Amino acid sequence: MNELPILTIITLLPLVSGIVVAGLGEHRKLARGLALTSSFLSLALVLGLWRSFDGNSGLLQFVEGPHAWIPTLGVQYYLGVDGLGLLMVLLTALVVPMSLLASGRVADRPHVYYGLVLFLQAGLVGTFTALNFFHWFIFWELSLIPAFFLVRLWGGAARAAAATQFFVYTMVGSIAMLLAFLAIFLATSEPGQPGVFDFITLADMARSGTLEQLLPAKLGWIDLTARKLLLVVFGGALLGFAVKVPMMPFHTWLPAAYSEASSPVTMLLTGVMSKMGVYGFVRILLPIFPQHINWMLTPLLWLAVITIVFSACAAFAQRDLKRMLAYSSINHLGYCLLAVFAVAKFTNAPQFATEKAAALNGVFLQMFNHGLTAAALFWFVALIEQRSGGLRGLNDFGGLRKVAPIFCGLMGIALFSSLGLPGLNGFVGEFLIFKGVFPLAPWAAAFSVIGLLVTAIFILTILQRVFNGPLNEKWSKFPDLTLGEIALLIIPIALMFVLGLYPRLVLDVINATAVQMVEQLKF
Amino acid sequence: MTPLAGYLLLSAMLFAIGLAGALTRRNAIIVLIGIELMLNAANLNFLAFWRFGEHPEALAGIMFVIFSIGVAAAEAAVGLALIIAIYRHYKTANVDEVNSLKG
Amino acid sequence: MNVSYLELLKLAAPETIVVLTALAALVVDLTSTRDLEARFRFIINGMIACAGCVAAIVWMLVMPAHANALEGMFVVDPLTQVVKIALLGLTLFTVLISMDSTFTEHIGEYLALILLAAVGMMFLVSAEDILMIFISLELTSLSLYILAAFNKRDVNSAEAALKYFLFGGMAAAFTLFGLSLLYGLSGATNLGQIAAALEDKGLDPLLIVAMVMIVLGFGFKVAAVPFHLWAPDAYQGAPTPSAAFIASGSKVASFFIFAKVMMIGFTGGETNGVHEIAGSAAWQQFVSGWTPVVAVVAVLSMLLGNLVAIVQSSVKRLIAYSAIAHAGYMLIGVMAHSGEAVASLVYYAVTYGLTTIGAFGVVAVVEARSKDDQLASFAGLSRRAPVVSLCMMIFMLSLAGIPPLAGFFGKFYVFAAALKTGAPNLGLLWLVILAIAMSAVSFYYYLQVLKQIYVADMPAGAEELRVPVLGQVVLGLIAVGVILLGCAPNLLVGVLQASIKAAGL
Repeated sequence: MNELPILTIITLLPLVSGIVVAGLGEHRKLARGLALTSSFLSLALVLGLWRSFDGNSGLLQFVEGPHAWIPTLGVQYYLGVDGLGLLMVLLTALVVPMSLLASGRVADRPHVYYGLVLFLQAGLVGTFTALNFFHWFIFWELSLIPAFFLVRLWGGAARAAAATQFFVYTMVGSIAMLLAFLAIFLATSEPGQPGVFDFITLADMARSGTLEQLLPAKLGWIDLTARKLLLVVFGGALLGFAVKVPMMPFHTWLPAAYSEASSPVTMLLTGVMSKMGVYGFVRILLPIFPQHINWMLTPLLWLAVITIVFSACAAFAQRDLKRMLAYSSINHLGYCLLAVFAVAKFTNAPQFATEKAAALNGVFLQMFNHGLTAAALFWFVALIEQRSGGLRGLNDFGGLRKVAPIFCGLMGIALFSSLGLPGLNGFVGEFLIFKGVFPLAPWAAAFSVIGLLVTAIFILTILQRVFNGPLNEKWSKFPDLTLGEIALLIIPIALMFVLGLYPRLVLDVINATAVQMVEQLKF
Repeated sequence: MTPLAGYLLLSAMLFAIGLAGALTRRNAIIVLIGIELMLNAANLNFLAFWRFGEHPEALAGIMFVIFSIGVAAAEAAVGLALIIAIYRHYKTANVDEVNSLKG
Repeated sequence: MNVSYLELLKLAAPETIVVLTALAALVVDLTSTRDLEARFRFIINGMIACAGCVAAIVWMLVMPAHANALEGMFVVDPLTQVVKIALLGLTLFTVLISMDSTFTEHIGEYLALILLAAVGMMFLVSAEDILMIFISLELTSLSLYILAAFNKRDVNSAEAALKYFLFGGMAAAFTLFGLSLLYGLSGATNLGQIAAALEDKGLDPLLIVAMVMIVLGFGFKVAAVPFHLWAPDAYQGAPTPSAAFIASGSKVASFFIFAKVMMIGFTGGETNGVHEIAGSAAWQQFVSGWTPVVAVVAVLSMLLGNLVAIVQSSVKRLIAYSAIAHAGYMLIGVMAHSGEAVASLVYYAVTYGLTTIGAFGVVAVVEARSKDDQLASFAGLSRRAPVVSLCMMIFMLSLAGIPPLAGFFGKFYVFAAALKTGAPNLGLLWLVILAIAMSAVSFYYYLQVLKQIYVADMPAGAEELRVPVLGQVVLGLIAVGVILLGCAPNLLVGVLQASIKAAGL
C-alpha cells in the first residue's frame, strides 16, 4: 500500500492550480507560466507513478479507499488504476502540456482559458481513476463543462452552434447513462441498504449473474420482458459512451466541434476526451454488460465497421484539414470499438484467450497512440493556421515542402504514424487489433480493412496537396519551424518512433491488465 | 334537510359568491371584499361543524373562527394599504390598468 | 390540559429570540440610529438581526429538544430543528444581501418584517395542527406581501405586491375552506387525529373537495402551475432581497409543511405517536386520491416553467419561471412520501433556496448600478466584476443541475428517492424522465445568462462595477456553500436522515 494518496494529488493538482490561475486576473505570462508548471508537475508525478507501477499485475494499484462519501446512496471515494487507467492518466498528462504549449497566443482572457484547460485535466484524471459510478460521473460531467466553454469562447466563427451541438449530444448521452445506472442502483438496493455504484462490485455481480436476476426482479414493474429490460438499461449506458467516442450514427456533433474549436482545444478534445468514451466501453460496459454486448453483437459489430469505413470516406471527401483529421479520429477510434465488441464474442472460449488479449492490448495501444498522434497533428494544424492567418483548406497550399522542409518532414512523420506505417506507433495498435479481431469476427475485420485503405488514400492526398506539387506563390515566405518549435515538437515525434520500434515500453504495463480482463470475461 | 346541511349550503353559496366577485370584478377593493366573503364562508363552516359535531364541548372550531377573524382583519389592513399604494401611483384601483409588469 | 408556560417558552425559545430581535431592530432604528446615514443604519440593524438569527441557531444546536406541546400545536423534533436552522440560515443571508440596498428608508421595519416572516415559517415547520398551520401561513404571507411592496418609490413594487396579495388572499381563502371541511369530516384539528378519523371513512366526495382546496393553497405558496401567475410579477417587481426571501425561505417552509400534511394528514393512522406511512388499505385509497392531482400540477409546472423561462429577457422573471420548474421537480419528492423522500425534498429545497438567494444577490448587485435586471445589463459582467460573475456561474450551473454542485445532487437524490419508493408506480418513472429531460432544457436558459456574462461584449462606456466587500464575501460564502453541499452532501443528508429517524417519520 502506498501511504501517499498520489492519485488524489494528481487529480487535485490541476483543479487547485486551475482555481489559482483563473483567480489571478489577466496576467497572461503568469497564467501561462503557472499552467505550464502545473501540467509539467503532473507529468512528473505520473511518470513517477509509471515507474513504481507493477506491470506484472493486472490488479488495481495505488488504491485509495473505499472511504464512505455519501453513505445513503452507496457513494464511496474509491480510486485506483490498473494498466489501462495509468496509460490514460499518462496520456492526459502528456497531451495537456502539449496543448498548453500550442496555445501560445490566447489574447482573450488568458487566465480563464488556462484555468479551464486545467479544470478539464482534473475532470479527465478523475474520470480515469474513479471506481465508483457517482464519483466517476461527477468528473465525467466536470470535464464537459470546461470543454464546452473552451469551444464556445475561443473557437471559430460558427463556434456557438458547434458548442451547443456538442453539449446537447453529450448531455443526452450522459442522461441516458445516468438513468441506466439509476436503474442498476435501484435494482441492487435492499431495504435499509443503498444500492451499488461500485464498478468492481457491479462487475462481480454481472459475472455471477446476480445483476441479471436482480434487474427484472426489482424493476419488474416496467411492462417489459426481462431481456428487453436488460437491453434498455444496457442501451442507456451504451448511448452515453457511443456519443462520446463517437460511434456512428451519433457522431454528427464531432466534425463541427473539432473544426470550430481552436486547434489546441481540439488537441484536448481528440487527444483525451474521445478516449473517455473508449475507456468507458472497456472499463464499464465490457465488465458489467458482457452478455448484452454479446446479444447485440452483430449490429454492434456492423456499427463499428460502418464507423470505420464511412468516417474514412467522409474524411476523404473533406476539403478542410481540421475536418479531415476530425473524421480520421472517428475512424481510428472505430477500430477500438470493433475490438471491444469482438472481444465479447464466444463465451467461455479459452482457446481464444490469446486473441482477445491481443485485441485488448491493441485497443489500449491504439487509444494511447491515437491520442499522441492526433494531438500532434492538430498541433501542426495550429502552426499552419498561425502562419497562414487562419487558412487551413486542403487546396489553399501546395509545395510547402520547398519553403518549409522541416515542418513538412515532421508533420509527414505524424501523418504516416496516423496512416499506420510500420515502424511508427500507429502501426502497432492497429496490427494487434486486427490480429485479435480476425479470428474472432473475420467478416467485420475484412470489411474494416477498407477503412485502412481509404485512410491511406486521404492521408497521401494531404501529403500531396499541401506539401508537394508546385509551390503556391502566396506562400513563398511561409516560415519554417523555429528552433524552439522543433525542440518541442521533436518530443512527440520521438515518442512515435520509440513506441513504434519498442512497443513493449507500454505493453509491459498493460498486458497484465488485458489478460486479466479477458479472464474475467467468462460469463 | 338537517340543519347542518343547510348551514353548509349557505356557506358554499357564500364562498361561490365571494369567488365570483373576486374573479370577475376589476376594482381591487371589490376583489378584496370577495376574498373576505370566502374567508367568512369558511368561518361559517367551522361554526356549523363545531355546533353539530360530536364534541361541541371541545372548543377547537370556535377557536379557529376567532383566530381566523383576526387574521382576516389583518389581511384586510394589509390589502387596503397595498391598494392605497397602488392608487398613489396609478390614480385608480382598477386591477386591469395595473399592468406594467409583463414578460 | 396542563400547560407549563415555562416549558413552552423553552421549547419556543428560538422563535422567541427571533421575535425579540425583530422588536430590538425596530426600536433601535426608531430611537438611536435614526439620524445616521442609511448605509450605517442598515449595517447596525442588520448586524442586530444577524445576531438574533445566529443566537437562535446556537440555541437549537446547544439545546436539542424533542417534544410535542399542546397536542401537535407545536412539535419540536430533530427534523424540525434542522429545517428551522436552515430557514434561519436563509434569513441570515437575505439580511446580508439586503444590507447594500437603497430602496427604503424604513430599515428597522424592513428587517423586523423579514424576521417576523421567518418566525412564521418556523412556526409553520413546527405545526401539526391545522389551526397553527393556518395562522403561521398567514403570518408569513402577510409579512411577505409587505416586503414585496417595500419600495414605495417604485410602481412595479406596489403592483407586484398587489398581485401577490390578491392571489395569496384567494389561495388563503381556499385553504381555509378546505381546512374547515377537513375539520368537519374528522372533528379534529390535529393532523394525526384527522388522519385517524378519516382512515375508515373511505374517499368521501367532500374529502376530495377539501384535498383539492388544500393542494391549491399550497400550490400557490410553492408557485406551482396553475397557481403560479403571481410569481413572475412578484419576483420581478418586488425589491430584490424581498424576492430572494419569497423564493427561498417561503419555499422551503411551504414544501416542508406540504409534505407533512400530505404524509400525516392524508396518509392515515397515528398510533401511539408513531406515524405509519405505508401499507394500510386506506392509505392506498388516499394515495389514489391525491397523487394524480399533484402529478398533474408537477407536470404542468415543469413544462410551463422551463419553456416560458426560455423567452424571458428579465433575469428576475427568468429565475421566477425557473422557480416554477423547480417546484415541479420538488413535487415529485412530495409524491414519493417516504422518510428518504422527505430527506431529499428538504435537501433540495434548502440548497435551492441557498442558490436562489445567491442568484438574487448577484441580480441586486447589477441592478443597483444599471437600474434594471434585463439580460442585456449583464453583458460583459465577467470583465466588470469577475468575482460576482464567477459566483453567478456557480449558481446558474447548480440550478441547472451540473455536478458536482448542490443542484445536481439534489435532483439526483429526489429522483432516486422517488423511484425507490415508487417502485410499483410507473407514473413516477415517467415523471422522473420528464423532469430529467426538462432539466436538460433548463440548461439552455441558464446558459443564456452565462452567455451574457461571459461572451457578450461590455456596453460601451461601462466601467468596473464597484461591489462592496461585504457583498462579495457574502456571495462568495454562498457559492462555497453550494459547492460544499454538492461535493459533500452528507453534511446535510446525514443530519437529515438521522433526524428523520429520530422524529419517527
